Amino acid sequence: MISRQSLLIFAVTMLISGIAAAQERRSNNVVDKIYHPYVLPLEQEFEWRIMSRQNDEGNALVQRVSFGHSIDNRLTLQAYLVGDRDETDEFGLVAYELEARWMLTEQGKYFADWGALFEIEKEHQEDSWEFTTGILVEKEFGRSSVTSNYLMVYKFGNLVDNSFHSEFRLQYRYRFIPEIQPAIELYTAEDFVGLGPSFMGIHRFEAQKQIKWELGFIAGLNGDSKDHTLRASLEFEF
Amino acid sequence: MQKYRYCLTIILLIYSASAFALPEITITIRDHLFYPSEVLVPSGQKIKLVFINQDPTPEEIDSFELNREKVVFGNAKANVYIGPLEEGEYHFFGEFHPSSAVGKVIVISPEAYANAY
Repeated sequence: MISRQSLLIFAVTMLISGIAAAQERRSNNVVDKIYHPYVLPLEQEFEWRIMSRQNDEGNALVQRVSFGHSIDNRLTLQAYLVGDRDETDEFGLVAYELEARWMLTEQGKYFADWGALFEIEKEHQEDSWEFTTGILVEKEFGRSSVTSNYLMVYKFGNLVDNSFHSEFRLQYRYRFIPEIQPAIELYTAEDFVGLGPSFMGIHRFEAQKQIKWELGFIAGLNGDSKDHTLRASLEFEF
Repeated sequence: MQKYRYCLTIILLIYSASAFALPEITITIRDHLFYPSEVLVPSGQKIKLVFINQDPTPEEIDSFELNREKVVFGNAKANVYIGPLEEGEYHFFGEFHPSSAVGKVIVISPEAYANAY
């Protein structure tokens, strides 16, 4: 059984992380994916993600396609092409991204499961870079799981002012059935605090072939009259 | 600096304590079957399942009910940490041989578990 002291430590850690992230105030599209701290060897995947944010400034649309491959028992690499819609409503390639996810602890071995994330992103044909690193933590409570991502982002290059900010993402997920797992997600960063429901699921075909889906609707709570983000993703693992 | 190291050590010890001296149950994978295919474990306790794969090919242990996925390479072993669990049955299977490699963890009360052994 989980001790009350352990729960308290976990809750305080999550709260402090969330407040720290929320205190950073600048704008960005923060609603994205909540990463889990697990890596499986022999696994490769194609992923497609879409984020559509609607606020008083209009609609921002970002899509990512990627290929990922685990390197060993604990490390997986994923390469992304990022596209978005610009001010002339043209959709095109805007950035490349390389991501490494590192499983730090065995699932279920300790009080919580820990992982680390490293991402480097470069804008297409521009000297503008973004380096992200962070800690991924997941704790299981029976059929429920709480996952948090505390990320630090450093932007640099000739075309941007070098800057640093942090982001915090939190997800509560209930493992109802494999195909349908409802969740609640919280995103905080810079001038954005968003909260909303999401649903995810997994369907297995054969052996390691399976498809994972996620769909979330996150409402901004930062005072704008309209600010909501629809996010969705499809992963095909094989 | 010394103070931070001391704090970090304490935190690591607290978080690691649950992994020390866990009860272990060994399950062998042979000819794409689990031996034993059913294991009894006490409720409310973390358990270490040790999978020993005697086949030359890898197997991936999968269980939605246990919330675990783990690859066991051929002629190798791997640990799967489960629990604390409530009483009930939790099924698992081998992703590469789902029709033959099936098993379950049966969770019973600590008292019933003590009587069983």
